[in-house]
Amino acid sequence: MTDLVIVLFGLTLLYISAISRLEGYIRALAVQGFLLTLLVVVAGGRINIWNLAFIVLETLGFKTFVIPWFLTKVVRENEISRETEPYITNFYSLLFTSLIFAFSFFIAYWAVRNVTDVRPLHFGISIATIVFGLFIILTRKKLITHTMGFMIIENGIFLLSLAKVHEMPMIVNTGILLDLFLAVFLLGIFINKIKSSFEELDVNELTYLKD
Amino acid sequence: MIGTLLIAPLVLSAVLILARSPLLNRLAILAYAVLHMGLSVALYWRPESFLSYFMTDDLNILFLLILSVLNAGVAVYSLDFLREESISKKWNTYYAVFLLLFVFSLTGAILSAHLGLFWVFMEATTLTSAPLVFFYGQKSSLEATWKYIFICSIGISLAFVGIVLLSMGQTKLTDSLFFADLYRNVDKLAPFWLKISFPFILIGFGTKMGLAPVHAWLPDAHSEAPSPISALLSGTLLNAAFLGILRIYKMIEISRLHSEMATLLLLMGFLSLFVSAIFILKVNNFKRMLAYSSIENMGILLIGIGVGGVGLWAAMLHLLAHSLSKASFFLTSGNILHLYQTKNIDGVKGLLQKDKWSGWLWIGCFLSIVGFPPFPIFLSKFFLLTALLSKGYYFLAAIFVLLLTVILLGMGRSVLSMSCGECNVPTSGYRLSYCALVPQIVFMIILVWIGIAMPDVLNELLRRSVLLL
Repeated sequence: MTDLVIVLFGLTLLYISAISRLEGYIRALAVQGFLLTLLVVVAGGRINIWNLAFIVLETLGFKTFVIPWFLTKVVRENEISRETEPYITNFYSLLFTSLIFAFSFFIAYWAVRNVTDVRPLHFGISIATIVFGLFIILTRKKLITHTMGFMIIENGIFLLSLAKVHEMPMIVNTGILLDLFLAVFLLGIFINKIKSSFEELDVNELTYLKD
Repeated sequence: MIGTLLIAPLVLSAVLILARSPLLNRLAILAYAVLHMGLSVALYWRPESFLSYFMTDDLNILFLLILSVLNAGVAVYSLDFLREESISKKWNTYYAVFLLLFVFSLTGAILSAHLGLFWVFMEATTLTSAPLVFFYGQKSSLEATWKYIFICSIGISLAFVGIVLLSMGQTKLTDSLFFADLYRNVDKLAPFWLKISFPFILIGFGTKMGLAPVHAWLPDAHSEAPSPISALLSGTLLNAAFLGILRIYKMIEISRLHSEMATLLLLMGFLSLFVSAIFILKVNNFKRMLAYSSIENMGILLIGIGVGGVGLWAAMLHLLAHSLSKASFFLTSGNILHLYQTKNIDGVKGLLQKDKWSGWLWIGCFLSIVGFPPFPIFLSKFFLLTALLSKGYYFLAAIFVLLLTVILLGMGRSVLSMSCGECNVPTSGYRLSYCALVPQIVFMIILVWIGIAMPDVLNELLRRSVLLL
């Protein structure tokens, strides 16, 4: 069951690299949030009940609903055109994503040879998600897509931390949650501001400061 | 005491938001600076821990005291800075509130006894200082703020990957990310996990520290932020990130992986020196020049811990001296900005003629930062060079000297062309108050004092912090 969910999670990455509409990205992020919730619930027996409730709130509440809703709102308010405008075509995107997967599984099997208690599928997909997030940021032009790339990295880190038996203390978990959502909201606010002073909402506009 | 230190800024900033009074804003900043200073000194004499998540030890007390001194200087300087009439009432309050919150998150990060909590506060420093970088609200500040939040958030996420990897290596019995437990259980951790997580943590906190090649945000944020904020960013924020690297470095040291990881530290250190040497030669914006100099100095710190031995002591002295010198350098750059209304090096001529005090401070800060003799940076660079030579890194020592000379040349040319000669460029009629000069003068006096006759208290502080590593 866990493995199936993780494979589905991996598929969302392929889906993101193959499509070229922003709504698709947002939908994929919501699906990722939901899959993470499933994983937490399946593995839930080991975690204490308050921590579990908190993490379900985080994944189901924030990652599945609030963040996608917020991103949709930012897209709509700023009249961002729906194309993602990548620097490379979808074909190369898919190709690179496959390479990222291959690389990550290579790392995962290398890790398994060194230490015993790592599940290669889980570890591999987490690493792939993190690298994929960076890849999205590097190859897409729009600032909003960069924010989504950031969320993908965060989801990857969350998946990685689920591989661990024990949880962080509550105070730290709360802090992490607070930080991440403030970061996303702040980015959203600044996208609004950038919209009012720059012509386009993409990185090519941000070239005023340089040496 | 730690409780008061952390709760006071939160209460004060809540009051400021409600009151919205420019006078109260300035008073609150000053009051917290005094409180911070008093409590930090008290914590030096009587270390304590708070809720077990915060504590003072021989290492972080040094960082805390530096933060206190710089914060006090910035608070006094802000009295002059907030006088300016072009600042709206709203932004006057925002400045005070976010400054308090920024210092709060820095204090929290420095005092954290838990790696996860340290991370939380490090990310909080980005979020609380972003509005301060945006202060002037121009197109360029928007660009700088975006880069700042985005690059630092991504960087710090990578540090979190490192933390998760580190905790994956823990067995059930030793599962804790408190620094004390991490150090105690290092031998039970498979070296594989430490080796794989250290690069992530180095890159992650290194982004925040402004190390090349992940320094892209630093010159932009430092040049666009108001000068007192640039002083805090450069003098305290970069230090706090360095503290994170030092904490993990200690694990490396205990597990005797130092020789393998030193390559990585030296590589990033020298790359930072190289990048800043190149850019200092070509920049035409004096605040960006100072920002690149910060990158250089962070590189020197990393080289210090990469070499080890005497290098560690040199790095701690350098940390202290750089914070004070760079803070007064940035504060003085704020004076120049007021007097000439430009950040271009070409647009500033005859500073000594225009404003004698600012001019001499500008030259004094330059001499201090490049390490001319009475100043302590001379000592730290000298000992670092000795450490490099004694470990047999002759080639690296040569490159070190070469790059430092290039930086000296680049900065010296700009600083002298700004200070000397006739003041024949447009200037403003802005009159600086004493508040815009006193902090730098005090910092300079402290620096000369350290350089000529190091007080025993400070010597002890540095020695103990090195012993803890």
